[in-house]
Amino acid sequence: MTDRPILRVLDLVKSYSGQRAVDGVSLEVRQREVVCLIGPSGSGKSTFLRCLNALERADSGEVQFAGELMDPGRRDIRQLRRRMGMVFQNFELFPHLTALRNVAIGPVTVLGAARAQADVLARELLRKVGLADHALKHPAQLSGGQQQRVAIARALAMSPELMLFDEPTSALDPETVGEVLSVMKALADEGMTMVVVTHEMDFARRVGERIVVFDRGRVIEAGTPRQIFEAPRVARTREFLSHLGWHGESTVPAEPG
Amino acid sequence: MTFDWSVVLDNLPLLLQGALVTVALTVATMALAIPGGLLLAALRLSPVAVVRAAATAFVEFFRATPLILQLYWTFYVLPVFLDVRLSAWTTALVGLTCNISAFNSETFRAGITSLRQGQWNAGLALGMSRPQVFFKIVLPQAVMRVLPALASTWVSLFKDTSLVSVIAVADLSYVALRLRAETYRILEVLTAMAALYWLMGYPQAKLVDWIHRRFKVVE
Repeated sequence: MTDRPILRVLDLVKSYSGQRAVDGVSLEVRQREVVCLIGPSGSGKSTFLRCLNALERADSGEVQFAGELMDPGRRDIRQLRRRMGMVFQNFELFPHLTALRNVAIGPVTVLGAARAQADVLARELLRKVGLADHALKHPAQLSGGQQQRVAIARALAMSPELMLFDEPTSALDPETVGEVLSVMKALADEGMTMVVVTHEMDFARRVGERIVVFDRGRVIEAGTPRQIFEAPRVARTREFLSHLGWHGESTVPAEPG
Repeated sequence: MTFDWSVVLDNLPLLLQGALVTVALTVATMALAIPGGLLLAALRLSPVAVVRAAATAFVEFFRATPLILQLYWTFYVLPVFLDVRLSAWTTALVGLTCNISAFNSETFRAGITSLRQGQWNAGLALGMSRPQVFFKIVLPQAVMRVLPALASTWVSLFKDTSLVSVIAVADLSYVALRLRAETYRILEVLTAMAALYWLMGYPQAKLVDWIHRRFKVVE
């Protein structure tokens, strides 16, 4: 973990009608690192994530990505934004397009790739997420888990340097959560840099290298999974985890020695 | 009471020619009012306030005044302002197009704003520009969603073209009403007119029903 930071967030603030959704958050993400953002609903995690790729304009503070300022006002923001992939809670696949076209649309529209070439890439990515046989189906014909895997393939088609996941399994039926998480795990194993907003504590503990706990727009605690899940220092963290039914002591086997 | 259907049969070519004008006017109006409605909808969603206000004023004028008045106005008043003399047919086309464009723009606008912000975000996150997201993601879905409403407008338009007879465009209504005045065979002529409108209108209404079923929004 000696890689240099690819993302640097400094004292980010974002308010909605006077309410501070994100209240002065700083964060560094190194290359190849998997950072999981956890915390109660409405604690500002998703808003924070949308500020990272400048879908939201922060009120103050800054986001640096690969040494560039992610300012929604700059003319070349699209060139920066496309280097980050984003996966949404509600998938947000394009329902009028097949799975294949959903994956190919980025390279064709944004990178000007030839359609045939983009299709080859799209098929390869669909195979990678286990959906080679579903390339010509429309999103409505796919299960939630399948749709979310297409959405991951769509983001990967732009060869991103960083992937943002916004509660990628929160809208899924329980039986399809696993297939999405295992695709994400495989991605992490390949060395993809990932920032994941999640309520899947088991995933955060096993795949996350750093856990950042949000509460009321602030980071109240950050550390390794072991530190956060086994020995949280902040009372609110303990409260949040126990609300989720997580009791570190009982589920994590005791370490010998 | 005796009927004399010969007045209808003798003048059938004339009536059919009127029917052809009715159909041609409907098709031409819709062909112009779909791009017109899209343009107005885009202007009403513009970030520039003046553009938005102008488009809104146009739409609200044509939605809130009777079509028959708009046709008279285009025929008698517009030439005075603009110092041009349009043929009756062109006047009818201009008047109907303005009116239907206004209605279509509201339909398109409803379709466009019915799409979640998430669809915009998904396109933007890939690095698309706003126009790219609009034309490749938002508009195709919006059009699918409003197709039933557009089809309903089409059928209304088909019937409303009868109003152009007031400015002497020789559509089915004009031909039939003139025939009635000339022959005094009121019953026969009006019945023939009703039959012709129904024969043309009924299949369209059925088609609209089919479109409603076929293009129901499935999420």
